[in-house]
This record gives sequence, C-alpha cells and structure tokens, in this order.
Amino acid sequence: MILNTGRTIPQGNSVEFKPSPEYGAETSRAFLAPLDLMDMGIEAGDRVRIRCGSRSAVLTASASDDVLPGSLFVPYGPHANHVVPAATHGTGMPDFKGIAVEVEPTSDPVRSVWDLMEDLGGKRYDR
Amino acid sequence: MIVRDVICPFCACLCDDLDVHVEEGRVTGVDNACDLGSHKFMTDHRMEGPVRRTASGWQDIPLEEAIRETAELLQAAERPLLYGWSGTCGEAQSAGVHLAERVGGIIDATTSVCHGPSILAIQEVGHPGCTLGQVKNRADVVVYWGCNPQHAHPRHLSRYTTYTDGFFVKNAFKERRLILADIRGTDSTNVADEVVRLQPGGDYAVLGALRAIVRGKGDVVPPEVAGVSREQLFRIADLCKKARYGAFFFGMGLTQTAGKYKNIRNAIELVDELNRHTKWTLTPMRGHFNVYGFNEVCTWMTGYPYAVDFSRGMAFYNPGETTAVDILARKECDMCLVVASDPAAHFPAEAVEHLASIPVVQLDPFPNLTTAFARIQIPVAVSGIDAEGTAYRMDGVPLRLRKVLDRGYPDDVTILSEIARRIGEGGGA
Ligand code: SF4
Repeated sequence: MILNTGRTIPQGNSVEFKPSPEYGAETSRAFLAPLDLMDMGIEAGDRVRIRCGSRSAVLTASASDDVLPGSLFVPYGPHANHVVPAATHGTGMPDFKGIAVEVEPTSDPVRSVWDLMEDLGGKRYDR
Repeated sequence: MIVRDVICPFCACLCDDLDVHVEEGRVTGVDNACDLGSHKFMTDHRMEGPVRRTASGWQDIPLEEAIRETAELLQAAERPLLYGWSGTCGEAQSAGVHLAERVGGIIDATTSVCHGPSILAIQEVGHPGCTLGQVKNRADVVVYWGCNPQHAHPRHLSRYTTYTDGFFVKNAFKERRLILADIRGTDSTNVADEVVRLQPGGDYAVLGALRAIVRGKGDVVPPEVAGVSREQLFRIADLCKKARYGAFFFGMGLTQTAGKYKNIRNAIELVDELNRHTKWTLTPMRGHFNVYGFNEVCTWMTGYPYAVDFSRGMAFYNPGETTAVDILARKECDMCLVVASDPAAHFPAEAVEHLASIPVVQLDPFPNLTTAFARIQIPVAVSGIDAEGTAYRMDGVPLRLRKVLDRGYPDDVTILSEIARRIGEGGGA
C-alpha cells in the first residue's frame, strides 16, 4: 500500500507538547479506506503493523472515505517516521508521501512516543 | 489586561489581529485566533530550568553551567550541526548563523523537510510571488494544491481568500472560485468549487497536462491523467485563463512527493504559462511561523537560504549533502545544537538514531521528543509570547512579534550570544 503523511488539527494542537497522550494517539492513527479494512478483516479501532524494509510501527486503524483504496494516511509524527526511509535523493527531503509499505493486522500494542524514542537510543523525559 | 493586535506565533499566516488576555503572568484567553493559535498561547507545559541527562536520570543544573558546557561541546566538535530555527525570531537566527560560522559548523533549518524543494525550484525558474494583501484584494481564482489550509493554516481562507471580501472582490464567497487539488478528501476540499482528486504521485503529470492545455496543445492530453479526466483538466485550464487575477498556493503535497522540486518547477511554469493570458502568482504555504525568516536571514548573511556548511571557512551550500537529514543519516556530525524545533519527532528514524550517539544540546521552552536525546536542554522564552523579535510571513512580509508577558526565561538571542561569547573567549574554533 502507499503511505502518505500530513498535518492535522489535533496533531497541530498537541505539537507544542508532544509527550501528551493526545499527540501520541493522534500520530499513531492510520486512516484507511473502509474497503481495505474489510479486505484485511479488521474494524476501526483494531491495530495494523506497517512495514518498510526492516522498520515497522503499530498503528490504530480508522476508516475514512477520504482515503483512496490502496493507500493510508498517517498524521505527521514519530510513528510514521519510524518507517519513513531517510534517503532524500539528493534533495534534502525524505519521501514523507508516496512510500510503498506493507500493512497487516496485528494484536501488538501501539507503542508510546517515549517507547519509540527509547528504541532509537533516547531516554524518556519523565519529570 | 488585554494586549491588542498581537501576532500569532504558530503558523506562517502570522495573523496580526489577536487580542490576548493576560492575568498574573498567565494567558487566560485569546480572541480571534484559530484553535492552533489559541492552544499555543494557552498551553503551559514549560520546562522549569536547564536540565542535564545523567546515567541515573534528569538533573537540574544552573543556567551558567549549561551555557558553559554547550560552548565547550560546540568548540570541541569537528563537525557540529546547528539545526532548527523555524520557531524563533530573526534575531536569534542571525545569532545562529554567526555561531555556525565561528565554529565551522553546518547550519540547517526545518526548511529542508518542508519547503526546501520549493526553494530549489525557485532557484531554477524564479518566483512569481506577491503579498497576501494582493491576493485578498484582487484574486478571483485561488488554487490550493497539495495542502489542507483548514488544518494547517486555519485562518488562511478567512483572512485572505474564500471568506474575506477584498477591494476588487466585493463578495468573495460568490466571486472567488476555489480550486483544490489533493490525493485525499479533506475539510478544505469540502469547500472548493472544483476538486481535483489525483492519484498519489500524479502531481507532475497533471500540472504538465494543464500546461499543455494552457499553451494550446490540449490535443496531446489523453482521456485521463493520474486519475483526473480530460474534461476536468480543460475546465480548470479555462477557469484559470479567464481569471482576472489568480493565486496559486501549494503545500507539502507537492514538496514531499516523488519528484519533489520538479513538481514545484512544473507549478511555477504553469503559472508562467498562465501569465501569458492574465495575471497569476504563486506562494508556498510555509508552515512554522518564522521558517521563511530563516531563509531570508541566512540568504542575506551567507548568500544561501538554508543547509549552509562553514567547514571550508566559507559558506558552502549543497542540499542533499549539507541538509540535516542527510548529515544525520550519514552519521557525519559529531555534535548537534537544536534550536526551536523537534527533529526527533519529524525526521525518519534512521536519521534520529544518530542523535543518540553524539552530544545534543537543545534550546526549547518545552520538553519534546528531541529532549530524549539531549545531553542538556535550556528552556527559553517563547518568541511572540514572552520574547519579541522579527518574523517573516509566508509572503515574505516581516512583522514584529510582541512580548505579551514576562515569565523570567532568557530568550534565544541572549543564550546564543552568550555561547558565542564563551567560544570567543576560548580562542574560537
Ligand atoms: S491561522 Fe496560523 S497565525 Fe493565524 S491564528 Fe491560526 S495558527 Fe495563528
């Protein structure tokens, strides 16, 4: 499937305070066409794993008529960036849109933004 | 107390008509702002003072010590990266460029992951720009391509296009035609007169087809281009040609999709083509409130708008090589100073990983995801709330941000100048 990322109002509202649960929840949503959800045998609220190369992330699926079948939209943030490749093709800009990914249902939990940062070698700021 | 005519420091619309209610050093209400703007004024999750990451956890440290250690880290580094800059004022950006030059580092802004490709295209074929006032008063056809202003710039439509009347557009809602091009339906496509729903990655082809039609070569256009019918393409080309004044806005749907700057180049050339028939202009929908400011400041200081490498003792610019994502993914920098942005949230994981293996210092009012990689974080005043300074609107108009209250935090300029002073005392890099 084709992954596109982009900004949304809830993402923008919580962008100044990223450790908030709202930011984590909004940026871990995957908007999919209802037909694609049916094909995968899952419902809105179930989880999907998206994979690109060796990297993957777990997201909560939402149904959206605004998304073309065969593609998914994920609000811009650390969950989507966990799978976006860093190659910029000499432009400085990675492909944040139009990335070919594999999508499959999963029962694994959605990780928190701090979990993601710790996976990459960071340390949560918990004060 | 109500502070009137305050400029909103969230997005590059820089709305200048906010009334901010301040009581006892806190913002208690904001009039006229959109949701995003009010949230910025009202949220209060600031970090209290400078912190250092230690093996056992986070430790408070005196400001003095934080500044000294940052100066030492910058001085010791061979290839420091100074990144961010879109969420602070021009004065701090200028201090940042001076600092980068002094330590022989690389300075890059969030531009490289938003409208960097737009700048590359503008460098190739020029920029038919205008101020937003022109759009408001004259434009009778407005295109939004690959952007969702209702979500990213919520007052753009009500201040400059669909919902505001202008000097030559007396009844905007009726007279202004709105064309929206996107790969998905959004709250913005819902209000458009004409929605171009294209297939992902189809922008270049659709823009090319429109250029062909405007140029009078419509016979080469097939029945469908990237999901858009030939009939609709002709209808849109006609609408654009018949405009008295057209304004073309575009967002990351063009800059982040395959083709990158070539998409923008095609859009600029479509606008060029349309200018043979009538008047058209083009404006990138810049995101962060002062990301354009960095490009202005950096250009008048170094000759280049972003991604400048001073390691050769002079300014060297080569996006794709000297841009932050590339530098990090190649694991090239050995220190990173992050100012007013959050690369850990916005960069691909492969680039973020390198931050874990080098010393990172962050200047930011709030804990964010980059905090997870910071050895030191110094909380600073928020530009436009408790610090004043200059910001550039998306159309390049500089506006003066106001200080509406004092929370006792130092501003970016003070900290950066102090770091530079220490490095100067230490004999430079
Ligand atoms: S549109 Fe942008 S500048 Fe205007 S109030 Fe909203 S966030 Fe602030």
